[in-house]
Amino acid sequence: MSRTKLESLGLRLPVLPTSTVGSFPKPDYLIEARARATRNAITRPELDRLERQATEFWVRIQEELGLDVLVDGEQYRGDMVAYFAETMPGFARGGLVRSYGNRYYHKPVMVGPVRWPGPMTVDWWRWTQSLTTRPVKGMLTGPYTLMDWSFDDYYPDRKTACLALAREVRKEVEALLEAGVRIIQIDEPALSVRPDELGFAIDAMHLVVDGLPAYSVVHACFGAFETIYPGLLSLPVDNLDLAISHSALDLLAMFEKDPFTKDLSLGVLDVHSHSVETVEDVRARIRRGTAVLPADRIWVDPDCGLKTRTVEESRAKLGAMMVAVKAARAELG
Amino acid sequence: MELILASAGSYPRIGDTPDTQRHRRAYAQNERGEISDVEWRAVEDEVAQQVVREQAAVGLDVVTDGQVRWYDPISHLARHCEGIQINGLLRYFDTNFYFRQPVVSGRIRRRESVLRREFEVARAATDRVVKPVLSGPYSLACGSILEGGYRNRRELARAYAEVLAQEVADLVHAGAALIQVDEPYLLRHPEHAEVVHEGLVTLAAARGRAHLALYTYFGDALPLWDAIMAMPVDLVGLDLTYGLKLADRIAEAGAPRTLVLGLVDGRNTKLETRDGLFRILDRVLPRLRGPVGLGPSCGLELLPRARARAKLENMVAIARAHDGHEGRPQ
Repeated sequence: MSRTKLESLGLRLPVLPTSTVGSFPKPDYLIEARARATRNAITRPELDRLERQATEFWVRIQEELGLDVLVDGEQYRGDMVAYFAETMPGFARGGLVRSYGNRYYHKPVMVGPVRWPGPMTVDWWRWTQSLTTRPVKGMLTGPYTLMDWSFDDYYPDRKTACLALAREVRKEVEALLEAGVRIIQIDEPALSVRPDELGFAIDAMHLVVDGLPAYSVVHACFGAFETIYPGLLSLPVDNLDLAISHSALDLLAMFEKDPFTKDLSLGVLDVHSHSVETVEDVRARIRRGTAVLPADRIWVDPDCGLKTRTVEESRAKLGAMMVAVKAARAELG
Repeated sequence: MELILASAGSYPRIGDTPDTQRHRRAYAQNERGEISDVEWRAVEDEVAQQVVREQAAVGLDVVTDGQVRWYDPISHLARHCEGIQINGLLRYFDTNFYFRQPVVSGRIRRRESVLRREFEVARAATDRVVKPVLSGPYSLACGSILEGGYRNRRELARAYAEVLAQEVADLVHAGAALIQVDEPYLLRHPEHAEVVHEGLVTLAAARGRAHLALYTYFGDALPLWDAIMAMPVDLVGLDLTYGLKLADRIAEAGAPRTLVLGLVDGRNTKLETRDGLFRILDRVLPRLRGPVGLGPSCGLELLPRARARAKLENMVAIARAHDGHEGRPQ
């Protein structure tokens, strides 16, 4: 693990540090309030108060569970791309597009040069960090995913759009670091969608993080990673957070062939399943990780954000994960 | 050369204005038990016919029902089979669209005819050619979780092909003259081209006098050019939005099959320019014999409805301008 880097940032973490990917389910009162907000039936300050209440709720749960690095739970975000697109000039709200079944969303459209409007997540990070003595990650969506999950009516091609977004995303990263963030997570779930574009996705990540004093993580999930491995290792970050729990378990076989050179956040909880993993399930997944990588380079977390699970499922899944991690730590001595 | 303007399959089922959201409202009402399944089906029929008429009004020669009844491209047919249960959501390629994975636990058998009625409802709405669409056996196998009944994906694809051949026979019996088979997973797994070929042989045996069209999309078909051109189909629909090399290949050597050129980007809202399409058409068309199709690179459901329509209108205008341009002395 980049222990030296973490320690130089003042972070002393146990073996197999635990964290989560970012989002947690919104409590019912917040879901209802957000629906009322779309009808202008609730004021912005009132919604803000409820979002803070929900954020604190999740901070306390993370502390109770014993997680090492906390997240703000993204209670203020509707969607990981829409939140930024709704804030950044250059994006417009697009028409309705179906995501599945009878679910539709407004897919953003780039209609002009995209600009950083000033801090977008910094106040949330600062407030969340004020609630706990444990470190809180800074988290934002990466340029490749912002580009891929938006329509583009402005830029001449996908690469130009991605690199333009990267320059703006970097400004948010810099603002987070200035506020005190020491671990920064860039979410890039779209990273593996077009293997031939990995080169410029990596160029974009250089623009986002090069030269910045932070422990950096790229979170990617639910992709065909075999198509971008080992090229993925050229991402200029300290840690790759990959979905390992379910179909991607074969990744570990790939690591045996092409050694994994970074720290690994090992996703051990299937966030798309209602069923709660047993402690033994999670221990087995951790063992698969420790079989191919030294334990001091492994973090443990869920495959992805838990926002699609219920509050109870999320607590139970994380509870199983924490028991398994403690057992694994004991096993490792 | 006159271009035949063809839909590539799906079409947005709702728009952004309240009057275009009947499908969404009725779906929710049916889920809440406020309207019966019969009433819900009537709304689906109405929306399908509306989509057919919209494509015809725009000027397409070949239309579809927009697949407006399909939950997704993988589970729609699978959910009508014995031996299959429908599972959780999985991202569909690199889209922000999710499909439900069929879980195959035993031998599969079609419980009922699925597409024939959908085709008949669509055909009643227009005098244009209505093209039924089905996901191909290989793509269904790739999108499924195999837990039992078959030893591997190839065997499962064979089983799906048998089911789909029954659908093809039903469609032919109902009067379908052109049937589209989508195999997008082929581009992800070029090593399995022979499995796709084998599945299409099974479907071709059931097609009677109807024409079969193979559509691939979400990737560059150039590496599979020879294999695709050797498939037992009458037409091939190609996604030409993943780089220019595929168009270069056609411009250099033509094609042994009737092509439908997917030059209208079904993944992005930006409208194609007349110059951009002319540049490709002017190079490619002289090398092609017989009729040539022009259409979106993939189904348009990934776009907002208004933009999908605008894309088609733009394509029709450009195609008509090109027809006139070709006819003029240079």
